[in-house]
Amino acid sequence: MPTPLPQAAVVGVGTTRYGVLSAYDAYDLGQWALKQALDEAGLAPADIDGLILSRVPDYQRFAELGRLDPHYTLTTPGHGRFAGICIQTAVAVLQAGLARTVAVVYGNNGRSAGDRYGGDTDSYGSGGAGMWFPYGMTSPGAFHALMFQRHQARYGTRVEQLAHIPMAFRYHASLNPAAVMRQTFDLDGYLAARYICEPLRLLDYCLINDGGVALILTLADRAADLPQKPVYIDAMAQRAQFSDSSFPPDDFWHGAMASAAQATFAQTDLRREDMDALMVYDNFSPTVLFSLEGFGYCQAGEGGAFIEGGRLRLDGDLPTNTSGGHLSESYMQGWALNVEAVRQIRGQCEQRQVAGAQHVHYMAAAPVITSLIYSGQRRTS
Amino acid sequence: MNDYAKPLPQIDPRQAPFWQGLRERQILLPTCSDCAKARFPATRFCGHCWSEAMQWVPVAGGATLQAYATFHKAYWAGFAADVPYQVIQVRLDAGVSLFSNGVGPWPPQVPLGARLKPYFDDVTPSVTLLKFSLDEAQP
Repeated sequence: MPTPLPQAAVVGVGTTRYGVLSAYDAYDLGQWALKQALDEAGLAPADIDGLILSRVPDYQRFAELGRLDPHYTLTTPGHGRFAGICIQTAVAVLQAGLARTVAVVYGNNGRSAGDRYGGDTDSYGSGGAGMWFPYGMTSPGAFHALMFQRHQARYGTRVEQLAHIPMAFRYHASLNPAAVMRQTFDLDGYLAARYICEPLRLLDYCLINDGGVALILTLADRAADLPQKPVYIDAMAQRAQFSDSSFPPDDFWHGAMASAAQATFAQTDLRREDMDALMVYDNFSPTVLFSLEGFGYCQAGEGGAFIEGGRLRLDGDLPTNTSGGHLSESYMQGWALNVEAVRQIRGQCEQRQVAGAQHVHYMAAAPVITSLIYSGQRRTS
Repeated sequence: MNDYAKPLPQIDPRQAPFWQGLRERQILLPTCSDCAKARFPATRFCGHCWSEAMQWVPVAGGATLQAYATFHKAYWAGFAADVPYQVIQVRLDAGVSLFSNGVGPWPPQVPLGARLKPYFDDVTPSVTLLKFSLDEAQP
């Protein structure tokens, strides 16, 4: 048996308010979140010796603003898939001994900056989106509408089933004071929402807002000395499906997700049935459906029936996106979902707390698939 | 004909033969001279065998419908009068995928896998778009 790699843990998390925060730019939002994470971790800025950024425009400027001089620095594009990638990279940097205390920081002022995800500035899908503008094709929303239409045609999935995803997440948001959209709706309310790109409606789309998120990770031995209850990274994996990724994948990314799930669960004694909650990247409602299928929580094509009856609700078998997720809390591109996983395991989620939550699986489906299992229990081996 | 208000393709030299072909009612696809696989758009290297040798090869343009979605939001003023309009995802028999629009008689719910044939839409005197109509001859 090879010596297992040392385990990493999250020892601090920070989140700004979400919404319109026009007085703050992306640097400010990242620093606000990191300040909060440092405070609760009992750490000072000088303790940060690894810095991994996403969506913050420039690493040098960000570090200069906070007088950070780390031993390891990395910046990544503001694509949601990078939340999982950055956290995984933080673990690897810790395990390699390149840094002792890694901050991963996300700052997004997209709402105030007027970011649009369709039309002339759209670069979704390998950056080649402009090629299809003459046909009126644009936006990640349309990309996912095409995928869901094909899922409907292939498996008979109904929009009345899909509705359970945004309905459940909005219910969770109603229990989360930090959420931007807290007014619950029922199936009639869902069906009354206007189409943006049919078969998807407004309520299937994430919420573009300003905000920042930060997490601080260190190795488990050191985490034990810090004030917060450590939340351990129990297992993680990443897969990519870039070939032909300018177009919706034929298999809804199921193949890559199955491979990521297999690799994830091979690292741990935990099983799917041990998960107390799921955090599933929800840029659009169908992504959750595809993810539950791809990661093996149900069979391919059975997602629609699986989520009927409120399974994803706090009071259901598989509480999912207990913060309200991107559809109702705020589109923090996967970052806030990872923080929610940590807060659930710490027992800090108040009205939306999953009783006794110890294990949470974060998964994101996109041309990069990421998978992370968070646990309140340190591995013994 | 200056009243065409929709976005037009940015035709750079590398893609120009494709667009010139459409004007002449021909679908020319960049095709690897070594492994014979077609690709689109044109790229320096073949993604399959990484060969740099490429030629433009005409294909018949038969295709199947992969998916469709209906835009109710106009992201460009030029499409405002068209909403709701449909975008289709098609796969040419030559193996490459495209986004496009369906033209001609087109029921609201065409079954996926339906056979399509090319339709050359001369939207301006210098630009022809590749759209598709249902191929009734091949159900």
